[in-house]
Amino acid sequence: MEDPIIHIENVVKHFDKVAALRGISLDIMRGEVVVIIGPSGSGKSTLLRCINRLEEYDEGLIVVDGIPLNSAENINTVRTEVGMVFQQFNLFPHLKVIDNITLAQRIVRKRPKAEAEKQAYDLLEKVGIPDKAQAYPWQLSGGQQQRVAIARALAMNPKIMLFDEPTSALDPEMIQEVLDVMLNLAKEGMTMVVVSHEMGFAKAAADRAILMDEGYIIEEALPEVLFTNPKHERTKLFLSKVL
Amino acid sequence: MENIDGGFAPEKGGAATRSGFSFDRGWLLVIAVVLTITALIVSRPDPFKRIFFFVQDGIWVTISVTVISFLLMLITGLIVALLRLTKSAFIKAVATSYVEIIRGIPLLVQLLFWYFAFPTVIQSIGKALRFSLFENYLANPVAMAVVGLTFCYSAYMSEVYRAGIQSISKGQMEAARSLGMSYVQAMRYVILPQAVRVILPPVGNEFISLLKDSSLISVVAVADMTRRGREFMAANFIPIETWVMVALLYLIMTLVAARVVHWIEIKTRLEK
Repeated sequence: MEDPIIHIENVVKHFDKVAALRGISLDIMRGEVVVIIGPSGSGKSTLLRCINRLEEYDEGLIVVDGIPLNSAENINTVRTEVGMVFQQFNLFPHLKVIDNITLAQRIVRKRPKAEAEKQAYDLLEKVGIPDKAQAYPWQLSGGQQQRVAIARALAMNPKIMLFDEPTSALDPEMIQEVLDVMLNLAKEGMTMVVVSHEMGFAKAAADRAILMDEGYIIEEALPEVLFTNPKHERTKLFLSKVL
Repeated sequence: MENIDGGFAPEKGGAATRSGFSFDRGWLLVIAVVLTITALIVSRPDPFKRIFFFVQDGIWVTISVTVISFLLMLITGLIVALLRLTKSAFIKAVATSYVEIIRGIPLLVQLLFWYFAFPTVIQSIGKALRFSLFENYLANPVAMAVVGLTFCYSAYMSEVYRAGIQSISKGQMEAARSLGMSYVQAMRYVILPQAVRVILPPVGNEFISLLKDSSLISVVAVADMTRRGREFMAANFIPIETWVMVALLYLIMTLVAARVVHWIEIKTRLEK
Protein backbone atom coordinates (compact mmCIF):
# COMPACT_ATOMS: atom_id res chain seq x y z
CA MET A 1 0.00 0.00 0.00
CA GLU A 2 1.29 3.45 -0.86
CA ASP A 3 2.14 6.04 1.76
CA PRO A 4 -0.65 8.32 2.96
CA ILE A 5 -0.45 11.96 1.79
CA ILE A 6 -1.58 13.08 5.25
CA HIS A 7 -0.41 11.13 8.26
CA ILE A 8 -1.79 12.16 11.64
CA GLU A 9 -0.52 10.34 14.71
CA ASN A 10 -1.78 10.80 18.25
CA VAL A 11 -2.34 14.54 17.90
CA VAL A 12 -3.33 16.32 21.08
CA LYS A 13 -4.35 19.96 21.28
CA HIS A 14 -5.50 22.08 24.20
CA PHE A 15 -6.93 25.59 24.24
CA ASP A 16 -5.76 26.78 27.63
CA LYS A 17 -7.16 23.96 29.79
CA VAL A 18 -9.87 22.78 27.42
CA ALA A 19 -8.92 19.74 25.36
CA ALA A 20 -9.83 20.16 21.68
CA LEU A 21 -8.12 17.04 20.29
CA ARG A 22 -7.42 14.03 22.54
CA GLY A 23 -5.14 11.81 20.53
CA ILE A 24 -6.29 11.77 16.92
CA SER A 25 -4.75 9.29 14.48
CA LEU A 26 -5.79 9.35 10.85
CA ASP A 27 -4.24 8.51 7.49
CA ILE A 28 -5.54 10.04 4.30
CA MET A 29 -4.53 8.60 0.94
CA ARG A 30 -3.70 10.48 -2.23
CA GLY A 31 -6.91 11.29 -4.11
CA GLU A 32 -9.12 10.39 -1.20
CA VAL A 33 -12.10 12.55 -0.19
CA VAL A 34 -12.82 12.49 3.53
CA VAL A 35 -15.80 14.18 5.14
CA ILE A 36 -15.69 14.98 8.85
CA ILE A 37 -18.91 15.58 10.76
CA GLY A 38 -19.64 16.16 14.41
CA PRO A 39 -21.26 18.55 16.86
CA SER A 40 -19.76 22.02 17.33
CA GLY A 41 -16.83 21.94 19.71
CA SER A 42 -16.00 18.38 18.67
CA GLY A 43 -12.58 19.44 17.38
CA LYS A 44 -13.23 18.86 13.67
CA SER A 45 -12.27 22.39 12.59
CA THR A 46 -9.29 22.34 14.93
CA LEU A 47 -8.05 19.12 13.33
CA LEU A 48 -8.38 20.68 9.88
CA ARG A 49 -6.51 23.79 11.00
CA CYS A 50 -3.75 21.67 12.47
CA ILE A 51 -3.11 20.09 9.06
CA ASN A 52 -1.84 23.41 7.67
CA ARG A 53 -0.66 24.57 11.06
CA LEU A 54 -3.05 27.49 11.49
CA GLU A 55 -3.25 25.92 14.93
CA GLU A 56 -0.24 24.40 16.61
CA TYR A 57 -0.77 21.01 18.21
CA ASP A 58 0.72 20.16 21.59
CA GLU A 59 1.62 16.52 21.09
CA GLY A 60 1.81 13.98 18.30
CA LEU A 61 2.90 14.20 14.70
CA ILE A 62 1.46 15.37 11.40
CA VAL A 63 3.25 14.58 8.15
CA VAL A 64 1.92 16.14 4.95
CA ASP A 65 3.24 14.77 1.66
CA GLY A 66 6.35 13.49 3.41
CA ILE A 67 7.04 16.78 5.21
CA PRO A 68 6.71 16.77 9.01
CA LEU A 69 5.03 19.93 10.35
CA ASN A 70 7.64 20.79 12.89
CA SER A 71 9.74 23.69 11.67
CA ALA A 72 9.02 27.14 10.34
CA GLU A 73 10.44 26.46 6.87
CA ASN A 74 8.42 23.29 6.56
CA ILE A 75 5.22 25.09 7.42
CA ASN A 76 5.46 27.55 4.54
CA THR A 77 6.33 24.72 2.12
CA VAL A 78 3.38 22.69 3.34
CA ARG A 79 1.02 25.66 3.14
CA THR A 80 1.77 26.14 -0.55
CA GLU A 81 0.81 22.48 -1.08
CA VAL A 82 -2.38 22.67 0.97
CA GLY A 83 -5.24 24.92 -0.08
CA MET A 84 -7.81 26.01 2.46
CA VAL A 85 -11.37 27.25 2.08
CA PHE A 86 -13.01 28.96 5.05
CA GLN A 87 -16.56 29.23 6.28
CA GLN A 88 -16.39 33.04 6.07
CA PHE A 89 -14.68 33.03 2.60
CA ASN A 90 -12.02 35.50 3.81
CA LEU A 91 -11.55 37.09 0.41
CA PHE A 92 -9.34 40.17 0.46
CA PRO A 93 -11.91 43.00 0.32
CA HIS A 94 -9.48 45.64 -0.99
CA LEU A 95 -8.57 43.60 -4.08
CA LYS A 96 -10.55 42.72 -7.18
CA VAL A 97 -11.42 39.07 -7.79
CA ILE A 98 -8.58 38.72 -10.30
CA ASP A 99 -6.05 40.19 -7.84
CA ASN A 100 -7.37 38.00 -5.03
CA ILE A 101 -6.47 35.00 -7.18
CA THR A 102 -3.13 36.27 -8.53
CA LEU A 103 -1.65 37.85 -5.36
CA ALA A 104 -0.21 34.71 -3.76
CA GLN A 105 0.77 33.23 -7.13
CA ARG A 106 2.91 36.27 -7.80
CA ILE A 107 4.51 36.90 -4.42
CA VAL A 108 4.79 33.29 -3.22
CA ARG A 109 5.10 31.28 -6.44
CA LYS A 110 6.86 34.21 -8.21
CA ARG A 111 4.82 33.67 -11.36
CA PRO A 112 4.88 36.40 -14.00
CA LYS A 113 1.75 38.52 -14.17
CA ALA A 114 0.51 37.10 -17.50
CA GLU A 115 0.89 33.52 -16.34
CA ALA A 116 -0.83 34.20 -13.02
CA GLU A 117 -3.74 35.91 -14.76
CA LYS A 118 -4.11 33.10 -17.27
CA GLN A 119 -4.32 30.66 -14.37
CA ALA A 120 -6.87 32.92 -12.63
CA TYR A 121 -9.11 33.19 -15.70
CA ASP A 122 -8.94 29.42 -16.28
CA LEU A 123 -10.00 28.80 -12.68
CA LEU A 124 -12.79 31.39 -12.79
CA GLU A 125 -14.04 29.55 -15.87
CA LYS A 126 -13.88 26.31 -13.94
CA VAL A 127 -15.89 27.64 -10.98
CA GLY A 128 -18.38 29.19 -13.36
CA ILE A 129 -17.90 32.95 -12.92
CA PRO A 130 -15.44 34.06 -15.66
CA ASP A 131 -17.24 37.41 -15.98
CA LYS A 132 -16.52 38.47 -12.37
CA ALA A 133 -12.76 38.93 -12.68
CA GLN A 134 -12.92 42.71 -12.39
CA ALA A 135 -15.50 42.80 -9.60
CA TYR A 136 -14.76 43.47 -5.94
CA PRO A 137 -15.75 40.80 -3.40
CA TRP A 138 -18.58 42.94 -1.98
CA GLN A 139 -20.22 42.99 -5.42
CA LEU A 140 -20.61 39.19 -5.38
CA SER A 141 -23.16 36.90 -3.75
CA GLY A 142 -22.02 34.58 -0.96
CA GLY A 143 -21.93 31.59 -3.29
CA GLN A 144 -19.88 33.49 -5.83
CA GLN A 145 -17.48 34.67 -3.13
CA GLN A 146 -16.95 31.12 -1.93
CA ARG A 147 -16.29 29.97 -5.49
CA VAL A 148 -13.68 32.72 -5.86
CA ALA A 149 -12.14 31.55 -2.58
CA ILE A 150 -11.92 28.02 -4.00
CA ALA A 151 -10.33 29.36 -7.20
CA ARG A 152 -7.89 31.39 -5.11
CA ALA A 153 -6.77 28.28 -3.23
CA LEU A 154 -6.57 26.18 -6.41
CA ALA A 155 -4.42 28.83 -8.12
CA MET A 156 -1.48 27.70 -6.01
CA ASN A 157 -1.79 24.18 -7.50
CA PRO A 158 -2.22 22.51 -4.12
CA LYS A 159 -2.06 18.75 -3.72
CA ILE A 160 -4.60 18.80 -0.92
CA MET A 161 -7.69 20.96 -0.34
CA LEU A 162 -9.14 21.56 3.10
CA PHE A 163 -12.72 22.83 3.40
CA ASP A 164 -13.83 24.23 6.77
CA GLU A 165 -17.65 24.28 6.68
CA PRO A 166 -17.62 25.85 3.21
CA THR A 167 -21.39 26.14 2.88
CA SER A 168 -22.42 26.94 6.47
CA ALA A 169 -22.45 30.71 5.95
CA LEU A 170 -24.40 30.52 2.68
CA ASP A 171 -28.05 31.10 1.92
CA PRO A 172 -29.71 27.76 1.08
CA GLU A 173 -30.14 28.54 -2.61
CA MET A 174 -26.41 29.12 -3.02
CA ILE A 175 -25.17 25.95 -1.36
CA GLN A 176 -25.52 23.75 -4.42
CA GLU A 177 -23.38 25.93 -6.71
CA VAL A 178 -20.49 25.60 -4.26
CA LEU A 179 -21.05 21.88 -3.77
CA ASP A 180 -21.03 21.38 -7.55
CA VAL A 181 -17.58 22.94 -7.77
CA MET A 182 -16.41 20.68 -4.96
CA LEU A 183 -17.93 17.60 -6.62
CA ASN A 184 -16.06 18.32 -9.83
CA LEU A 185 -12.87 18.76 -7.89
CA ALA A 186 -13.39 15.37 -6.21
CA LYS A 187 -14.01 13.75 -9.60
CA GLU A 188 -10.71 15.14 -10.86
CA GLY A 189 -8.93 13.23 -8.12
CA MET A 190 -8.08 16.04 -5.70
CA THR A 191 -7.32 14.94 -2.16
CA MET A 192 -9.94 16.65 -0.04
CA VAL A 193 -10.69 16.90 3.66
CA VAL A 194 -14.10 18.46 4.16
CA VAL A 195 -15.69 19.49 7.42
CA SER A 196 -19.34 19.71 6.48
CA HIS A 197 -22.74 18.32 7.31
CA GLU A 198 -23.84 18.22 3.68
CA MET A 199 -24.89 14.58 3.52
CA GLY A 200 -25.62 14.83 -0.19
CA PHE A 201 -22.07 15.83 -0.95
CA ALA A 202 -20.67 13.18 1.40
CA LYS A 203 -22.69 10.41 -0.25
CA ALA A 204 -21.90 11.55 -3.77
CA ALA A 205 -18.21 12.29 -3.42
CA ALA A 206 -16.68 11.04 -0.20
CA ASP A 207 -14.68 7.84 0.14
CA ARG A 208 -14.92 7.95 3.90
CA ALA A 209 -16.94 9.77 6.53
CA ILE A 210 -15.74 10.40 10.05
CA LEU A 211 -17.68 11.38 13.14
CA MET A 212 -15.79 13.35 15.76
CA ASP A 213 -16.97 14.21 19.25
CA GLU A 214 -15.19 15.78 22.22
CA GLY A 215 -11.81 15.55 20.54
CA TYR A 216 -12.05 11.87 19.60
CA ILE A 217 -12.76 10.08 16.35
CA ILE A 218 -15.86 8.11 17.30
CA GLU A 219 -16.56 6.27 14.10
CA GLU A 220 -15.33 6.12 10.54
CA ALA A 221 -16.98 4.30 7.68
CA LEU A 222 -18.22 4.59 4.12
CA PRO A 223 -20.57 7.58 3.99
CA GLU A 224 -23.62 5.47 3.14
CA VAL A 225 -22.89 3.22 6.10
CA LEU A 226 -22.14 6.03 8.55
CA PHE A 227 -25.25 8.01 7.67
CA THR A 228 -27.74 5.15 7.36
CA ASN A 229 -26.47 2.41 9.60
CA PRO A 230 -24.06 3.74 12.21
CA LYS A 231 -22.65 1.39 14.83
CA HIS A 232 -22.01 3.85 17.57
CA GLU A 233 -24.68 5.28 19.87
CA ARG A 234 -23.18 8.75 19.74
CA THR A 235 -23.24 8.75 15.94
CA LYS A 236 -26.91 7.76 16.00
CA LEU A 237 -27.67 10.51 18.49
CA PHE A 238 -25.86 13.14 16.45
CA LEU A 239 -27.44 12.07 13.17
CA SER A 240 -30.90 12.10 14.71
CA LYS A 241 -30.37 15.76 15.50
CA VAL A 242 -29.06 16.92 12.14
CA LEU A 243 -31.10 14.78 9.76
CA MET B 1 4.37 43.98 -9.05
CA GLU B 2 2.70 47.07 -10.48
CA ASN B 3 -0.84 45.77 -10.09
CA ILE B 4 -0.94 44.08 -6.71
CA ASP B 5 0.77 47.13 -5.29
CA GLY B 6 -2.58 48.83 -5.76
CA GLY B 7 -3.52 48.05 -2.17
CA PHE B 8 -2.66 51.59 -1.18
CA ALA B 9 -4.11 53.25 -4.26
CA PRO B 10 -7.77 54.16 -4.46
CA GLU B 11 -9.81 52.01 -6.79
CA LYS B 12 -10.24 53.56 -10.19
CA GLY B 13 -13.85 54.04 -11.11
CA GLY B 14 -14.99 52.31 -7.94
CA ALA B 15 -15.34 54.35 -4.79
CA ALA B 16 -14.10 57.53 -6.47
CA THR B 17 -16.95 57.86 -8.94
CA ARG B 18 -19.56 56.68 -6.49
CA SER B 19 -18.85 59.66 -4.25
CA GLY B 20 -19.14 61.98 -7.26
CA PHE B 21 -18.25 65.64 -7.04
CA SER B 22 -20.55 66.59 -4.21
CA PHE B 23 -19.26 69.77 -2.60
CA ASP B 24 -17.75 69.27 0.84
CA ARG B 25 -19.41 71.97 2.98
CA GLY B 26 -16.45 71.96 5.35
CA TRP B 27 -14.67 74.17 2.83
CA LEU B 28 -17.13 77.00 3.58
CA LEU B 29 -15.51 77.47 6.98
CA VAL B 30 -12.06 77.53 5.37
CA ILE B 31 -13.25 80.22 2.97
CA ALA B 32 -14.76 82.19 5.84
CA VAL B 33 -11.45 82.18 7.73
CA VAL B 34 -9.48 83.18 4.62
CA LEU B 35 -11.92 86.05 4.04
CA THR B 36 -11.60 87.17 7.68
CA ILE B 37 -7.80 87.27 7.44
CA THR B 38 -7.96 89.13 4.13
CA ALA B 39 -10.51 91.58 5.49
CA LEU B 40 -8.36 92.30 8.54
CA ILE B 41 -5.25 92.86 6.42
CA VAL B 42 -7.04 95.10 3.93
CA SER B 43 -9.11 97.11 6.41
CA ARG B 44 -6.36 97.62 8.98
CA PRO B 45 -2.95 97.11 7.31
CA ASP B 46 -1.44 98.53 10.47
CA PRO B 47 -1.06 96.33 12.51
CA PHE B 48 -2.51 93.24 10.74
CA LYS B 49 -0.47 93.40 7.54
CA ARG B 50 2.68 94.08 9.61
CA ILE B 51 1.94 91.11 11.86
CA PHE B 52 1.31 88.86 8.88
CA PHE B 53 4.59 89.73 7.21
CA PHE B 54 6.46 89.48 10.51
CA VAL B 55 5.24 85.92 11.28
CA GLN B 56 5.36 84.83 7.63
CA ASP B 57 8.69 82.98 7.85
CA GLY B 58 7.41 81.31 11.01
CA ILE B 59 4.54 79.84 8.97
CA TRP B 60 7.01 77.92 6.85
CA VAL B 61 8.94 76.74 9.89
CA THR B 62 5.72 75.46 11.49
CA ILE B 63 4.62 73.71 8.30
CA SER B 64 7.98 72.11 7.53
CA VAL B 65 8.66 70.92 11.09
CA THR B 66 5.14 69.46 11.26
CA VAL B 67 5.32 67.75 7.88
CA ILE B 68 8.81 66.30 8.40
CA SER B 69 7.97 65.03 11.90
CA PHE B 70 4.72 63.58 10.59
CA LEU B 71 6.40 61.68 7.75
CA LEU B 72 8.99 60.28 10.17
CA MET B 73 6.41 59.20 12.72
CA LEU B 74 4.35 57.42 10.06
CA ILE B 75 7.33 55.07 9.73
CA THR B 76 8.48 54.88 13.35
CA GLY B 77 4.91 54.55 14.65
CA LEU B 78 4.35 51.56 12.35
CA ILE B 79 7.60 49.95 13.50
CA VAL B 80 6.64 50.36 17.16
CA ALA B 81 3.15 48.96 16.47
CA LEU B 82 4.58 45.89 14.72
CA LEU B 83 7.04 45.35 17.57
CA ARG B 84 4.14 45.44 20.03
CA LEU B 85 2.34 42.78 18.00
CA THR B 86 5.28 40.32 17.84
CA LYS B 87 5.25 37.02 19.67
CA SER B 88 8.50 37.76 21.51
CA ALA B 89 7.58 38.79 25.04
CA PHE B 90 10.81 40.75 25.46
CA ILE B 91 10.42 42.89 22.32
CA LYS B 92 6.78 43.43 23.16
CA ALA B 93 7.70 44.59 26.68
CA VAL B 94 10.33 47.03 25.39
CA ALA B 95 7.93 48.56 22.84
CA THR B 96 5.08 48.72 25.36
CA SER B 97 7.31 50.41 27.96
CA TYR B 98 8.37 53.00 25.40
CA VAL B 99 4.76 53.83 24.63
CA GLU B 100 3.71 53.96 28.28
CA ILE B 101 6.68 56.09 29.35
CA ILE B 102 6.39 58.58 26.51
CA ARG B 103 2.66 58.99 26.99
CA GLY B 104 3.21 59.69 30.66
CA ILE B 105 5.54 62.66 30.20
CA PRO B 106 4.33 66.06 28.96
CA LEU B 107 5.49 66.90 25.45
CA LEU B 108 6.89 70.23 26.63
CA VAL B 109 9.13 68.48 29.16
CA GLN B 110 10.31 66.07 26.47
CA LEU B 111 11.15 68.94 24.11
CA LEU B 112 13.08 70.71 26.87
CA PHE B 113 15.01 67.48 27.50
CA TRP B 114 15.94 67.02 23.84
CA TYR B 115 17.10 70.62 23.46
CA PHE B 116 18.81 71.31 26.79
CA ALA B 117 19.72 67.94 28.32
CA PHE B 118 20.39 65.63 25.39
CA PRO B 119 23.37 67.63 23.97
CA THR B 120 24.99 67.66 27.40
CA VAL B 121 24.60 63.90 27.62
CA ILE B 122 26.27 63.51 24.21
CA GLN B 123 29.08 65.87 25.19
CA SER B 124 29.75 63.96 28.42
CA ILE B 125 29.90 60.69 26.52
CA GLY B 126 32.27 62.35 24.04
CA LYS B 127 34.53 63.52 26.87
CA ALA B 128 34.53 60.10 28.50
CA LEU B 129 35.39 58.38 25.21
CA ARG B 130 37.65 61.23 23.96
CA PHE B 131 35.57 61.32 20.79
CA SER B 132 35.82 64.88 19.51
CA LEU B 133 32.75 64.74 17.25
CA PHE B 134 30.57 64.10 20.32
CA GLU B 135 32.60 66.41 22.58
CA ASN B 136 31.85 69.42 20.39
CA TYR B 137 28.24 68.45 19.71
CA LEU B 138 25.88 71.42 19.56
CA ALA B 139 22.13 71.02 19.35
CA ASN B 140 20.43 72.28 16.22
CA PRO B 141 17.11 73.64 17.50
CA VAL B 142 15.07 72.60 14.47
CA ALA B 143 16.59 69.12 14.37
CA MET B 144 15.99 68.62 18.11
CA ALA B 145 12.42 69.87 17.73
CA VAL B 146 11.79 67.32 14.96
CA VAL B 147 13.38 64.55 17.06
CA GLY B 148 11.34 65.52 20.11
CA LEU B 149 8.03 65.68 18.27
CA THR B 150 8.69 62.44 16.38
CA PHE B 151 9.82 60.57 19.47
CA CYS B 152 6.71 61.58 21.38
CA TYR B 153 4.11 61.26 18.64
CA SER B 154 5.43 57.88 17.43
CA ALA B 155 4.09 56.43 20.68
CA TYR B 156 0.59 57.79 20.00
CA MET B 157 0.80 56.88 16.34
CA SER B 158 1.78 53.29 17.18
CA GLU B 159 -1.45 52.95 19.15
CA VAL B 160 -3.43 54.13 16.15
CA TYR B 161 -1.69 51.61 13.89
CA ARG B 162 -2.15 48.83 16.43
CA ALA B 163 -5.87 49.47 16.70
CA GLY B 164 -6.11 49.53 12.90
CA ILE B 165 -4.23 46.27 12.44
CA GLN B 166 -6.23 44.55 15.16
CA SER B 167 -9.49 45.72 13.62
CA ILE B 168 -8.86 43.56 10.54
CA SER B 169 -10.50 40.17 11.04
CA LYS B 170 -8.21 37.27 11.97
CA GLY B 171 -9.50 35.39 8.94
CA GLN B 172 -7.62 37.76 6.63
CA MET B 173 -4.26 36.81 8.13
CA GLU B 174 -5.24 33.13 8.14
CA ALA B 175 -6.32 33.21 4.49
CA ALA B 176 -3.07 34.91 3.50
CA ARG B 177 -0.93 32.49 5.51
CA SER B 178 -2.84 29.48 4.20
CA LEU B 179 -1.88 30.60 0.68
CA GLY B 180 1.77 30.31 1.71
CA MET B 181 2.48 34.00 2.31
CA SER B 182 4.97 34.84 5.02
CA TYR B 183 3.88 37.00 7.96
CA VAL B 184 5.60 40.01 6.40
CA GLN B 185 4.01 39.45 2.99
CA ALA B 186 0.58 39.03 4.57
CA MET B 187 1.06 42.29 6.50
CA ARG B 188 2.34 44.16 3.47
CA TYR B 189 -0.22 43.02 0.89
CA VAL B 190 -3.31 42.05 2.88
CA ILE B 191 -3.49 43.55 6.38
CA LEU B 192 -1.88 46.99 6.08
CA PRO B 193 -3.72 48.09 2.92
CA GLN B 194 -6.97 47.47 4.78
CA ALA B 195 -5.76 48.87 8.10
CA VAL B 196 -4.60 52.10 6.45
CA ARG B 197 -8.16 52.84 5.37
CA VAL B 198 -9.47 52.21 8.87
CA ILE B 199 -6.95 54.48 10.55
CA LEU B 200 -7.16 57.43 8.15
CA PRO B 201 -9.45 59.53 10.39
CA PRO B 202 -7.39 59.03 13.59
CA VAL B 203 -4.15 59.59 11.67
CA GLY B 204 -5.62 62.83 10.38
CA ASN B 205 -6.41 63.79 13.97
CA GLU B 206 -2.83 63.05 14.99
CA PHE B 207 -1.58 65.32 12.19
CA ILE B 208 -3.83 68.15 13.35
CA SER B 209 -2.78 67.69 17.02
CA LEU B 210 0.84 67.67 15.93
CA LEU B 211 0.36 70.87 13.97
CA LYS B 212 -1.04 72.57 17.07
CA ASP B 213 1.46 71.01 19.49
CA SER B 214 4.30 72.17 17.26
CA SER B 215 3.72 75.61 18.83
CA LEU B 216 5.55 74.20 21.90
CA ILE B 217 8.83 74.16 19.98
CA SER B 218 8.80 77.95 20.26
CA VAL B 219 10.30 77.52 23.77
CA VAL B 220 13.33 75.65 22.43
CA ALA B 221 14.64 78.40 20.18
CA VAL B 222 12.80 77.47 16.99
CA ALA B 223 11.43 80.53 15.18
CA ASP B 224 8.02 79.03 14.40
CA MET B 225 4.77 80.97 14.07
CA THR B 226 4.19 81.17 17.82
CA ARG B 227 7.71 82.38 18.56
CA ARG B 228 7.50 85.02 15.83
CA GLY B 229 4.22 86.15 17.38
CA ARG B 230 5.90 86.52 20.76
CA GLU B 231 8.75 88.47 19.20
CA PHE B 232 6.31 90.82 17.52
CA MET B 233 4.47 91.23 20.81
CA ALA B 234 7.66 92.07 22.66
CA ALA B 235 8.48 94.83 20.20
CA ASN B 236 5.02 96.33 19.69
CA PHE B 237 2.90 95.25 22.60
CA ILE B 238 -0.43 94.83 20.85
CA PRO B 239 -1.48 91.43 22.26
CA ILE B 240 -5.04 91.23 20.96
CA GLU B 241 -4.20 91.84 17.31
CA THR B 242 -1.06 89.68 17.40
CA TRP B 243 -2.64 86.59 18.94
CA VAL B 244 -5.86 86.89 16.91
CA MET B 245 -3.73 86.86 13.75
CA VAL B 246 -1.60 83.92 14.91
CA ALA B 247 -4.69 81.99 16.00
CA LEU B 248 -6.37 82.57 12.62
CA LEU B 249 -3.27 81.33 10.81
CA TYR B 250 -3.23 78.10 12.86
CA LEU B 251 -6.94 77.72 12.31
CA ILE B 252 -6.65 77.96 8.53
CA MET B 253 -3.96 75.27 8.54
CA THR B 254 -5.87 72.83 10.73
CA LEU B 255 -9.10 73.36 8.83
CA VAL B 256 -7.41 72.73 5.48
CA ALA B 257 -5.72 69.62 6.90
CA ALA B 258 -9.08 68.32 8.11
CA ARG B 259 -10.60 68.82 4.66
CA VAL B 260 -7.72 67.02 2.95
CA VAL B 261 -8.06 64.05 5.33
CA HIS B 262 -11.79 63.95 4.67
CA TRP B 263 -11.18 63.96 0.91
CA ILE B 264 -8.63 61.12 1.06
CA GLU B 265 -11.01 59.16 3.27
CA ILE B 266 -13.79 59.34 0.67
CA LYS B 267 -11.40 58.51 -2.16
CA THR B 268 -10.18 55.32 -0.51
CA ARG B 269 -13.41 54.16 1.11
CA LEU B 270 -14.20 50.45 0.74
CA GLU B 271 -17.69 49.08 0.33
CA LYS B 272 -18.48 46.43 2.91
